[in-house]
Amino acid sequence: MRTGQAVRPIDTRRTPHSAAAVGLAKRSIVNITRLPSAFLPSVIMPVFQSIAFAGTFFAIIQIPGFPTDRSINWFLPLGTLMGAGFAGIGIGFSTIRDLETGFYDRIRLTPAPRTALITGPLMAALIRAVLVTTIVIIVGLMFGARPTHGPGGVLLLYVAAAGIAALGTGWGLGLAFRFRDMRAAAIMQLTFFLLIFLTDAQTPLFIMEGWLESAASINPFTNIIRLARLGFLDAPITWNNMWGGLIAITAISALTLAFARRSLDRLSDS
Amino acid sequence: MTSPVAAAPLTPTRAPAQTSVIAQTWALSVRSIQSLLRQPSLVIPSLIFPLFFAALGTSSFSRAIELPGFPAVDSYLDFALAGAIVQGILFGSTTGATALATDIENGFFDRLLASPSTRTGIIVGRMAGGMAYGAFQTLFFVLVLLPFGLTIKGGVGGVIGLMVSGTILALAIGALMSAMALITGSSEAVQGAFPLLFIALFFSSAFFPRETMSGIYGTLADLNPVSHLVEGMRDLVIEGVSASALARAILVPGVLAVISIAVSLRALRHRLGAS
Repeated sequence: MRTGQAVRPIDTRRTPHSAAAVGLAKRSIVNITRLPSAFLPSVIMPVFQSIAFAGTFFAIIQIPGFPTDRSINWFLPLGTLMGAGFAGIGIGFSTIRDLETGFYDRIRLTPAPRTALITGPLMAALIRAVLVTTIVIIVGLMFGARPTHGPGGVLLLYVAAAGIAALGTGWGLGLAFRFRDMRAAAIMQLTFFLLIFLTDAQTPLFIMEGWLESAASINPFTNIIRLARLGFLDAPITWNNMWGGLIAITAISALTLAFARRSLDRLSDS
Repeated sequence: MTSPVAAAPLTPTRAPAQTSVIAQTWALSVRSIQSLLRQPSLVIPSLIFPLFFAALGTSSFSRAIELPGFPAVDSYLDFALAGAIVQGILFGSTTGATALATDIENGFFDRLLASPSTRTGIIVGRMAGGMAYGAFQTLFFVLVLLPFGLTIKGGVGGVIGLMVSGTILALAIGALMSAMALITGSSEAVQGAFPLLFIALFFSSAFFPRETMSGIYGTLADLNPVSHLVEGMRDLVIEGVSASALARAILVPGVLAVISIAVSLRALRHRLGAS
């Protein structure tokens, strides 16, 4: 029996990369409202950290040569980068959850290109990072933070936050694909935490002594934090202060995203 | 036909002596400590992270000790030890309470209730395990940091004072978090409450002296009992044993312990009434 409606032919073409990536990004963003408990810590922690560090370590600005007279200006970019990093790593957490529940197998069975399984979550992480950065800046302004180089300086904080979110996404996804369980979450957090704190996170390099100064001097994350802080310190913004951070972001993001892609291929082959 | 075996007399035989309350509590304490030892992944962060932060602070804030408001110390490490101990105990005590919540979640707590063990022994046993771990953590931090230049002006007496203080603090925090476990019956809720302890630690003089803080931060640190506890412990390290230092190092966690044990026992009664 024939119905009056014409049967639509099955579309056997592959899903365009952009459509698949946007779909995955939307799913991740929608999860912010559906599962706020998974997203809220990445907002609350950087806000708390910025305020608490600025208050607790208020006196360090009295050390001669300290590059700002506001402790919140020093710690706000650090808190923002922590939040942006955890926005990226959070994508790894949700991927682990999808892998454990079997939902990720269903995603892999769809005709979505494999690259979209990386770029989709990456887009979501960047959107989350922008959200976190904006919230931390607004709260920071309420607590006395003052950008010293106008919108251009603030933009550099957004660039650094986006970079950290991108490299966090690559690292988080790569480890999630390799371990496929919550062991990966511990490694993601620990490594990120160590890399962020083994820098000039708390005090400038010239104030440090001993092993930390040596570690921070060679840690590329020091350059990223320097880039993030440029718009909040008294020193002028120069290319010399910027390029190290930009290169670190680009190189580490490329490496971690390649690691994620390679791990995804291994997951598919297994 | 009669059986060659004589029938047993119908008079009741004497029941085996009941296990004493102390023996029950001891057995539950041993179980609590063993569960910590068997899950090093739960324990190690509470030993490593405070040491990491102490090392980080010592290198970052070495010049900060010259600032006005800082007490006279040989190095920031001497100043940071008390904060590291309190931080470690906050981490460790949450682990014990999380284990209690897990017992509730997986039904083991109900089996303990169905057994003839004392009700308070179940909670006290868990807290005793936490107290032993608190004392161990304090000694561990002191022993690990001594080769890195830590100086304890209070000597052996100071270390004993620190251990007593750490033990009582572990009891206070363990009881408080156990109350949370008993009220919610959820390990996730206990873990979720941890940031509150973290906030209490940061808005205190655990990392920098109150004299260097200003405005609302200074006021919060003044009101925060953690500040007074840490300063008592710190005085044992940087000044030596004194009545004032011991009083603050022991009385502050002691009062906290009394309050949190009362809350915990109330939560236990509520749970027993509900079950």
